[in-house]
Amino acid sequence: MTAGEPALDASSPFTLPGFFAALADGELLAASCRDCGQVLVPPRPACYGCGGRRLEIESQPKEGAVFSFTAVHAAPPELEADVPYVVAIVELDSGARLTGRLEAAYEEVAIGDRVRLRTRAPSPQEQQLALDHERDWPVHYFDPAE
Amino acid sequence: MALADAFDALPDPATLADALYVGNQSELYEHQIMQGTLLAEWAGLRNVPAERVEGCAAAGALALRHAVKDVRNGEHEGVLACGVEKMTAGGTGGATDALSAAFDRALEQRSGVTAPSQYAMLAQRYLHESDATERDLARIAVKNHRNAASNPRAQFQKEVAIETVLESEPVAAPLKLFDCAPVGDGAAVVLVTTAELAAELELPMVRVAGSGAAANNIAVAERDLTEIEGAAVASGTAYEEAGMQPADMDIAEVHDAFTVSEALLAEALGFAPAGLGYQSGLAQADRADGWTDIEMSTSGGLKARGHPIGATGLLQVIEAYEQLTGQAGDRAVPDATSAMLLNEGGVADAVTVAHVITTEASV
Repeated sequence: MTAGEPALDASSPFTLPGFFAALADGELLAASCRDCGQVLVPPRPACYGCGGRRLEIESQPKEGAVFSFTAVHAAPPELEADVPYVVAIVELDSGARLTGRLEAAYEEVAIGDRVRLRTRAPSPQEQQLALDHERDWPVHYFDPAE
Repeated sequence: MALADAFDALPDPATLADALYVGNQSELYEHQIMQGTLLAEWAGLRNVPAERVEGCAAAGALALRHAVKDVRNGEHEGVLACGVEKMTAGGTGGATDALSAAFDRALEQRSGVTAPSQYAMLAQRYLHESDATERDLARIAVKNHRNAASNPRAQFQKEVAIETVLESEPVAAPLKLFDCAPVGDGAAVVLVTTAELAAELELPMVRVAGSGAAANNIAVAERDLTEIEGAAVASGTAYEEAGMQPADMDIAEVHDAFTVSEALLAEALGFAPAGLGYQSGLAQADRADGWTDIEMSTSGGLKARGHPIGATGLLQVIEAYEQLTGQAGDRAVPDATSAMLLNEGGVADAVTVAHVITTEASV
């Protein structure tokens, strides 16, 4: 958003409701910095790379590579039934990085593995963790790319 | 207890301090906020500025930093920097949940990311990029337990064998139980005052020569996982204010909530060459060229001295005070005069506070 554009409301991807509404429709949105090229997921109104505020919304590729990963053995109480589960930081092909669950066995994952972003509705256990305003937000995760 | 201990040989707090800050992580443990008011009440201070400071595990050093600024700018002659946490009130599950609030909510907490899993991803990347092994990280835990064995303030005053660390149960691979700081309760109090008032008290004193702070992004994904930028920035500010260099430091209390953190911070604070911080578990003679003669986590660190979140940054000050004033007993580092204290909140450098403490005269 730049000067002269309409004020933000909750449908804007610069807000989390707007970001998750787009994600529910299958689109991962980022803010891309016009000054330094940094890509921010989810979008924020200022660039942490250069401090600039000339950011524009940009759709992201769904594929990327594992940058780091772990297997969670001690989970929040609501997710204990899921352990051990794999969590990974993924670098998308755009350069943006985000963390999410990776649906794979820990022993079969390596840094650099290709993965694909997917979304699903929160499980009943995840619903227990959700705050009221988060109940309709999809949960993102990664699958190994074929 | 911490207040009584701190003021054992001093006049009443109310005669020395006229403001107070309290580092505290979470109201989820005791269903209590307003720690500023509470601690003022318990210290016998009435109608003075008093407030809680929040920055997850960096809250203690933030309280110190605020106290130092108030004394430096002449607003108050004496300020209490306090830290307190009663983590055991909610059990391990309660602590896991309360600590997760320090991480990005939208993408990370909702994916089941926990504190150990965040640092595990730093460790995974560090093992990938450097020559470090899980055994090297285990050696850091062994060293810190050895230090804690001679620290009466430590939560675990016992040594552990390297095999015990390596064979302990997985928490977040490659981190195991003995790579991780424990859940615990604790409190600490530090009196910050002017040189003039301190001299009148006729107790050994140390000087806060430098203070720095930096906040980086909250999401673990959006940072350099192995080059802890915020620690380099915050310590750089503290070194510069002190007119000192990393090589001038004799001891360092760092935020080793997980073994990998001590390795990464040894590099970020200028004690070890890039990629060689994992050698902090070795005796000085066995470390590579380029290491300074620093001794790290002489208290036993967060790993073995303990990590009662809001109190941790001030427990670091107490270790520096005891080391630099000849009160560290069997764990004393001979002739130590200067210390780097590095306290973090959130994952790695989400917020970092660094202080240089010294007994050397002002330059």
